[in-house]
Amino acid sequence: MLGKNPATGQTEGSMTKKTHDADVTFIQALAELLRENDLSELEVRRDYGESDSLKVRVSRKAEVVTMVNAAPAAAAAPVAAAPAAPAAAPASADPASDPGAITSPMVGTVYMAAEPGAAAFVSVGDVVTEGQTLLIIEAMKTMNQIPSPRAGKVKRILVSDGSPVEFGEPLVILE
Amino acid sequence: MSIKFPQGVGRIVHAEIDSTNAEAARIAASLSGPTWILALSQTAARGRRGRPWAHQQGNFSATLVMQPTETPDRVALRSFVTSLALYDAFVAVTGRTDGLALKWPNDVLMQGGKVAGILLESIGIGSGVNHLAIGVGVNLLTAPDSELLETKAVAPVSLAGAMGVQVSPEDFLDVLAASYAKWEAQFVTYGFEPIRTAWLARAARLGERIIARTTREEFEGTFDTVDEQGALVLLTAQGRVSIPAGDVFF
Repeated sequence: MLGKNPATGQTEGSMTKKTHDADVTFIQALAELLRENDLSELEVRRDYGESDSLKVRVSRKAEVVTMVNAAPAAAAAPVAAAPAAPAAAPASADPASDPGAITSPMVGTVYMAAEPGAAAFVSVGDVVTEGQTLLIIEAMKTMNQIPSPRAGKVKRILVSDGSPVEFGEPLVILE
Repeated sequence: MSIKFPQGVGRIVHAEIDSTNAEAARIAASLSGPTWILALSQTAARGRRGRPWAHQQGNFSATLVMQPTETPDRVALRSFVTSLALYDAFVAVTGRTDGLALKWPNDVLMQGGKVAGILLESIGIGSGVNHLAIGVGVNLLTAPDSELLETKAVAPVSLAGAMGVQVSPEDFLDVLAASYAKWEAQFVTYGFEPIRTAWLARAARLGERIIARTTREEFEGTFDTVDEQGALVLLTAQGRVSIPAGDVFF
């Protein structure tokens, strides 16, 4: 639900050219963490040296949905957490067009675990086998397990537990 | 009761098993056709989203496992097929329709109480699903304690307690299998429309105010209809809302 959960970030502190790329990666990872764990805000301070540090705060706007089924899969930049630096964080293309994208076969609600409180089926970085359950989509009290169509590494998870999904909406991207 | 078990449908009875839906997943690949698995006792019965389902002796726990050919969104419509079949099975064993009603998407209410639970589980993406397990639990003899229930949930009742009719799990299976086969044939031959129409004719609170709760929100509005995709349609102060997944409260 990237279109509805734009991640925004603010940074403070100095940044050298050399650490820029690493910082962008770091911020992207934080934004991912925020989304996966359904948090609204996350603040981290990273010290590089005595006078060199990076402070990042990543927050999400509150979700405002008036219609359960009115969720267009907007082609929003997945991570808008651009540091206050000359170069902005690279905006990814529409995840639905990613060749590794696994899309939803139905309209419904996503569950990342078999039951509330249980461990998630998969996390970013996990290596999955063909047929392994990635998540569950419920519609009309039918719990449909989404199996991985092939073996691979989970590059991104684009939905969170309890979020509504539309038909064709990207769920997970495999590397 | 002399009900003929539907042709081409398997019938397996276990004295005891962990969960009939779990057994369905284990044997699905080896089956040649749709099969009902009945357990007289379940040691690890479960409901939707890990909710406990208390299996008590004399009550009904069975799963119909099949390999449907439709896409997952169509397969999910068997929620309605199953609740219709269960409704008709109750009519067949009691000879009565009063006190029976359906609640979206697949609850069968008896005298306003919860007499059964249905848990559908499927695995699949793309053009088809690997298998579908339709678990059905019915309080034939006794209703569980209501302590386990969440607030505003429908109070449990039993068939024996509410209607004064006693049926064995084996006999009830024969009635339900026949009733399911009838509605399944309608669904496969004519699609969702006859199922939707028959379901709406048995629906509780149609045209009245109800509450629907999704994982993120709560909606209150007039229960307008069930749409062609099976979603619950409410007319709310904010407009028309269709809900594909959620819980309904009266």
